[in-house]
Amino acid sequence: MRRFAYPDSIDSVAHEATGLSMNRLLLKLAMIMMVGVPLYSTPATAQLSPTTPKAASVKITQGPEIERADSYLTIVRWTTNNPGGSPEHYAVVHYGKNPKDLSQTTKSPIRLNPNHPDTVFRVRIEGLQPKTTYYYVVDSMEADGKSDGVKSAVNQFTTQ
Amino acid sequence: MTPTILMRVSVVCLMFVLSLAGQNLSAQSARQAAAPREKDKPKSTVYNPYPAGILPADVESEIARVLREIDGIENKTVAAWHSMPKPTLTGQPPTFQGTGYQAVQILGKLMNYDKNMSPLKNQACASCHMPYAGFSGPIPSVNLTMVAYPGTVHFRAGKRTAPRYTYSPRYPVLQLYPAQGLFVGGNFWDGRSTGYLLQSADAEQAQHPPVDTQEMGFPDTACVAYRLSQAPYRSLFKQVWGKGSLNIKFPKNAEQVCGTPGGAKSFGTDVTPLKLSPEDRLRANEAYNHWGQSISFFEDGPQVSPFTSKVDANINGLPGSAYSPDETAGMNLFRGKANCNSCHLDGQRTLLKPGQTDNGEYATNARPLFTCFGYSNLGLPLNPRDAFFYQTTPDSYGFTANPLGFSYRDLGLGAFLRSAFGSAPNPNSSWTPLAPRMDGRQQVSTVRNVAMAPPQCPTTEAPGAIVNGVNVGYFQKEFFHNGYIKSLKQLVHFYNTRDKYAYPVTSGNCPPGTTEKVDCWPMPEVRNNIDMTTGNLGLTDEEENQLVIIMQALTDGFDPANPSKSTYPDIDTFTGTCMKGGTAATQGNEFLIPTPPLPPCATVVCGVSPTPTPSIP
Repeated sequence: MRRFAYPDSIDSVAHEATGLSMNRLLLKLAMIMMVGVPLYSTPATAQLSPTTPKAASVKITQGPEIERADSYLTIVRWTTNNPGGSPEHYAVVHYGKNPKDLSQTTKSPIRLNPNHPDTVFRVRIEGLQPKTTYYYVVDSMEADGKSDGVKSAVNQFTTQ
Repeated sequence: MTPTILMRVSVVCLMFVLSLAGQNLSAQSARQAAAPREKDKPKSTVYNPYPAGILPADVESEIARVLREIDGIENKTVAAWHSMPKPTLTGQPPTFQGTGYQAVQILGKLMNYDKNMSPLKNQACASCHMPYAGFSGPIPSVNLTMVAYPGTVHFRAGKRTAPRYTYSPRYPVLQLYPAQGLFVGGNFWDGRSTGYLLQSADAEQAQHPPVDTQEMGFPDTACVAYRLSQAPYRSLFKQVWGKGSLNIKFPKNAEQVCGTPGGAKSFGTDVTPLKLSPEDRLRANEAYNHWGQSISFFEDGPQVSPFTSKVDANINGLPGSAYSPDETAGMNLFRGKANCNSCHLDGQRTLLKPGQTDNGEYATNARPLFTCFGYSNLGLPLNPRDAFFYQTTPDSYGFTANPLGFSYRDLGLGAFLRSAFGSAPNPNSSWTPLAPRMDGRQQVSTVRNVAMAPPQCPTTEAPGAIVNGVNVGYFQKEFFHNGYIKSLKQLVHFYNTRDKYAYPVTSGNCPPGTTEKVDCWPMPEVRNNIDMTTGNLGLTDEEENQLVIIMQALTDGFDPANPSKSTYPDIDTFTGTCMKGGTAATQGNEFLIPTPPLPPCATVVCGVSPTPTPSIP
């Protein structure tokens, strides 16, 4: 029989704005690692995405640039040398309406390709205000939240 | 005769008459136990809560067509079973020397095509998984419309497309690699068949549909053992799994219970309506496990997963397997500009860097599976044609599949990690905190056999395959978890342009002047965790076509000596009608319907802790 889960209450939404929810998630991930989830050894391990050696430094080689920026959808794109590390990475944008206050954060999953010398990072941001100028910096990080250390100047865009 | 003697004789006569009547009643009861009583016979009321056009007009005739095909394959398989040499049992525990593999795979095949493994004896596993479709959905009109296949009760249906069997046993037991932040393995789109008990995700997968209310629909897992105990192949089951493996004392009402679809109000919350002793329940559970194991071994064998595509022939350097220029271009795009192999691992040698030369090294993986076994949210739109949204009223058994209607959202792996509505219990609570990062993610399929189609119309792409100058038509499939995409051309175009042509609309509501799936992609059903590796690849139309071509080269049954004839077992069992005309770019667009204004996501989906971040509207 199918189970139905009925929560006692609806939790309030934890926005990425402060980064606190990310820290909670990372703490939980670390706790899971300490508990020690067994790594099953199966013949299929040859078919898994590899963790690759980290690049000595990660530098932007193209962009960042704006693919589109409107009140529905904004996409920021940049290219770096392949950062290496966990196969699932995150493209990260810190942004705000004040260049000195880039406290809003959005991140999007990106899958590294170990055979590619470069990696294209793209972040999807929804629901920005129309005809508004936003300032931003970009970074990328591994699955465990560790930054790739990308140094990004503060850029800006204006939504349509 | 004195009155006393007369009374005694009368009593004896009465007792004799009563005993005869009792025997007759027992015989009658025995007959009734064997055959359902009139009041217990399945109710014949058809369940049709759907607006006009959701159910395809030919659904009944197509279901009947597939059942005929299933019966044909089952009969052939019975013949194969009878032609097996007598088993030679050696060793302890006994091993079928020489014929063990064949015996289990034939047993699994007999089970897979057995329509009696459903309460109404009208649905087999194969009803939704036929060989000529790569063991995915075999009814073109269902693939174009209702997405999920009708179950034993017509027309209950699930919520997603039927995944291909091919290579599904290769997915490992669901596990988390914390350092990588990845879940890998499991079966089903949402990973809910973890495989942790049987140590095989695929063996567990075979256990789910028989007791899924919207699929084969038994009310009790022990009904699998019950029907196995009556199956024509029960002797093979007992040979393989043990002499007493089906020695279970079923209650008198077993036929009535197992003939009633799960979810019926009469069962209440009882998940074991078949009352067995503890010992018999254990034996029934073991038979249920062996059911899953047998089917999984069939799926892992050469009749389902043979590694005989052109790509395999090419990897192994077989004569006649050189790629065409388009296939070469497609493979280079797969590994390069399109970046497909970041998730669909192809096990090939490293893409050459500038200055490197190809020294002819062999592939690092001779049998790549073209998947990473992981999970991803591709940002597909909600598909308003999905039958699940409309099953909001009870059927004649009192069962309602989806009281939520359009307030259901498919959170995929995230829902499973929460043991939420529409999924299954998660057996590992340490994973639940990760649910918000997994919302919207569905399993990364193997690319293998995505393009498999019957030989009489050997393509999935409109307007059809041209054979000797004649258009012989195409076989309509459905792609991804919700069947929104109707051709491989659309599939590649989605990866290529999802973000370039993104509009804040739902499906069926693209702005005037745009064409959905060509230059308008509706908004994602689940906006969280959308993978941005793809979405704006910059591929040309020709490059998209080349990617379709290389995907077609991943179809099993390729014979380099005779490329026009598939060697895939049972590929020739399709007896339906091929479709012709149209274009792959807009294939199926005539069936688009406007998504109605969507209510907020239901609390039992989007309000279960830990809740999605950001919230899902």
